[in-house]
Amino acid sequence: MNKRKIISALTNILAIALRHRIGSIVNNNEIYASKYARDADVLIKEVQNLSLKQNWNKEDKQEIEKQTKSKLRVELEKKDFIDNKKYALIDEETHKVLSSLNLLS
Amino acid sequence: MQFTHKVSKGSAYNQIYIPRRMETHFEVGDIVEIKLIRKNDNLYYHNIKESNLSEFKRKLIANIIQELNKFKEIEQIIFTGSFLTSKIDYNDIDIILITDKKESNIEEKAFNHLTDIFNLKFHIISINKSNLSHLLKICPLTRSMFHFSISNKKIILNKEREINKPHLNFLLMMPEDSISLNLSSKTLYNSLRRLIAIANFLSNKDENPQEIDLEIKFLIKEVLFSQIKSNEAIDKSQESKIKSIIKEKLNKIKNQLK
Repeated sequence: MNKRKIISALTNILAIALRHRIGSIVNNNEIYASKYARDADVLIKEVQNLSLKQNWNKEDKQEIEKQTKSKLRVELEKKDFIDNKKYALIDEETHKVLSSLNLLS
Repeated sequence: MQFTHKVSKGSAYNQIYIPRRMETHFEVGDIVEIKLIRKNDNLYYHNIKESNLSEFKRKLIANIIQELNKFKEIEQIIFTGSFLTSKIDYNDIDIILITDKKESNIEEKAFNHLTDIFNLKFHIISINKSNLSHLLKICPLTRSMFHFSISNKKIILNKEREINKPHLNFLLMMPEDSISLNLSSKTLYNSLRRLIAIANFLSNKDENPQEIDLEIKFLIKEVLFSQIKSNEAIDKSQESKIKSIIKEKLNKIKNQLK
């Protein structure tokens, strides 16, 4: 798989993972906020495996951030059962996860 | 001649009754010796037989409760998960802490304290009392989690169920995503478990995790069941078979939620 394809696959999963994470944060039921944050963790682990397949330069990382945010917005729009507070968390949560994956430019 | 009995509460003195079958052996005026076999640990068992839990686990639970009782903000301690139901095949010790109000760092404080003392792997979640009773009404997974549990106080599982569509749709996200993504076999197993728990919830059936496993075994047969439960690699045809079951169950539930 070339770099562009890996970026596309990686950001697809990352957007879904972040949709899970944000969903568990904005929901009021705290017990599953902690328990089902695990769903996001499972997906982030997949992203981590993909990200290790390449060395990423600054431009790649910028592209990953751009694609993730745009795909995440689409993912969140599709799920109308997640509270609208979700949109306010896009930047912060994307930043956190990219930083943890060492993918922040 | 000997017998084992529990000490019971009397109005003036606590007492031990002589069983009827022993009456002829233990008569008025006989001298007996009383020996303490096991301290009462005051544990409440929900759908678990006390005798099915090893002495080691019982003592460990009692010791953990003793340590957690040092935190004034904890009202009730509930043990759940595979630590209670599997003899050896468990990852961590799941503990739910019930508090009167949400304490921001009680999970961390309790986790650090228990880890320092017992050097074991704990997974701790805290929740306040009123949220828990609401969640037990609307969440099949929480109900399933509490199905087998042990606590330092009586556990009352509300029979009443309330269909909360946003919550159920949220829970359905992972099974839905597991169809389109290439994820581990354990994720497929968890998706199946989740879907069956939700289906049972919608049909007012118990969300018993052992019965859910039996249903998965029936659907995909024993060998594949063991493979996905232990996260072993499976081939494409097996993966497709599981995904088609997930899809079918998901569609059925979504139709019910319309």
